[in-house]
Amino acid sequence: MKKTPLFDEHLRRGGRMVDFAGWQLPVMYTSIMDEHVATRTRAGLFDVSHMGEVVISGPDACGFLRRLLPTDPERLAPGASMYSCLCNSRGGVIDDLFVFMLDVGRYYLVVNAARLDIDLQWLREHCAGDMDISDVSGDTAKIDVQGPRSPDVLARVFHDGRLGELKRFHVLQDMLFEGTPVMISRTGYTGERGYELYVPAAGAAALWNALLEAGQDAGAVPAGLGARNTLRLEACYSLYGHELSEDTTPLEAGLQWLINSPHDYVGKEALMRQKSAGPPRTLICFEMVGRAIPRDGYRIERGGRDIGKVTSGSFSPTFSRGIGMGRVENGAATVGDEIDIVIRNRREQARVAQRPLYAYSG
Amino acid sequence: MSLIPENVYYTEQHEWIRFEPDGAATCGITDHAQEMLNDIVFVELPEPGRRVRRGDPVAVIESVKAVSDVYAPAGGTIVRVNSALEEQPELTNRDPYGEGWLFALEGSDRDEIAGLLDPAAYGDLVAREEEQQ
Repeated sequence: MKKTPLFDEHLRRGGRMVDFAGWQLPVMYTSIMDEHVATRTRAGLFDVSHMGEVVISGPDACGFLRRLLPTDPERLAPGASMYSCLCNSRGGVIDDLFVFMLDVGRYYLVVNAARLDIDLQWLREHCAGDMDISDVSGDTAKIDVQGPRSPDVLARVFHDGRLGELKRFHVLQDMLFEGTPVMISRTGYTGERGYELYVPAAGAAALWNALLEAGQDAGAVPAGLGARNTLRLEACYSLYGHELSEDTTPLEAGLQWLINSPHDYVGKEALMRQKSAGPPRTLICFEMVGRAIPRDGYRIERGGRDIGKVTSGSFSPTFSRGIGMGRVENGAATVGDEIDIVIRNRREQARVAQRPLYAYSG
Repeated sequence: MSLIPENVYYTEQHEWIRFEPDGAATCGITDHAQEMLNDIVFVELPEPGRRVRRGDPVAVIESVKAVSDVYAPAGGTIVRVNSALEEQPELTNRDPYGEGWLFALEGSDRDEIAGLLDPAAYGDLVAREEEQQ
């Protein structure tokens, strides 16, 4: 199993290590609840170095992205980023990703760890013209600093006025930590104000420790994958393999807003057809009425009829009840409707809610 | 250090059973188990009156992340359940051998003790599991 550059630090801090996509990462340090609450009220630091980073460069880089993304890359300017996905010819999602424009002809893609190899294969298959695809994942560590106190934590380590001005979805490429170059974007996966830091592997441990030490009196704590999941679920962010898959279009995941490109990209025909006919399935988010907890894969019913399944379910520390997202027949349940989640052969009541359950608080 | 009280018996699935003076047997999960589960947020308890055999799944404990089955340490009839856990599932984390008890059995066969672990044997099991982590 693979280890991130922060593996020893996690052991030192009492991280409970688990296998995630072939990587050893902490699921928690103290408790998922504590780390979740800390991130919502102060700051949580996450090691997500397992994620993939790919640089696309060259005069034909933009044209390349135009051919693959349903979200128009020409809307980007240097220093800006956007959430998007790679679709197959059926409109199914190969991976969801963030695309940063570093400069004219230079883009930085951040992809899921479990999909990196498949993504690289897909990108290379479609490579054409004067461009280069460079997988920099192996040398890149990624530290997410999320929460209302995250700007304070960063300010104590970086002493760079530009951080205070950094707008959401934008990136600073030339930050420095003790001589090590660090890229910082104002993005995240928690629903809180936060930042994602990209640093060469060799400098990761020093940066991680400096952030936690400097962040101590701001109440910053290390947080694991368990809290990362409950945070993103409350914010109703998709997770590949759950809300997204090669057999799920962005429309079926409630991501129709991603589809805005006027260019000819892979999957466009299928997506346009689905858009006009209406997708066969849609994504809902819901809150349990009672105390039972929905889990991935549980059936969803309405009026005794099977209408779909839970794509992600858990206990929500913020709402103190079970919450989840589910993929159901289009039209079978909308906001305000009562549904049943089948939990151990019993129907437990839930209510479809407006997405997101927890609104972005940055 | 995992708490392993002397006056109870243990199972390999990390349940404990304590034979009370009135003849009933109180059951729960061990300190090691609650530590592994971490934040317990939901407990589903059996119906009083239900007859169970040793090893039957009789309760479910849910942490934030996972669902875990609890097995009957001995056979018998469920005579009481800890309804306080409905509002306060975290009691099982805080006091797994006291206020966090799960259910009580009556009519258990004390001969079944032979198949249970005594505190020393359970301590060895916990030590072996902790080593593997």
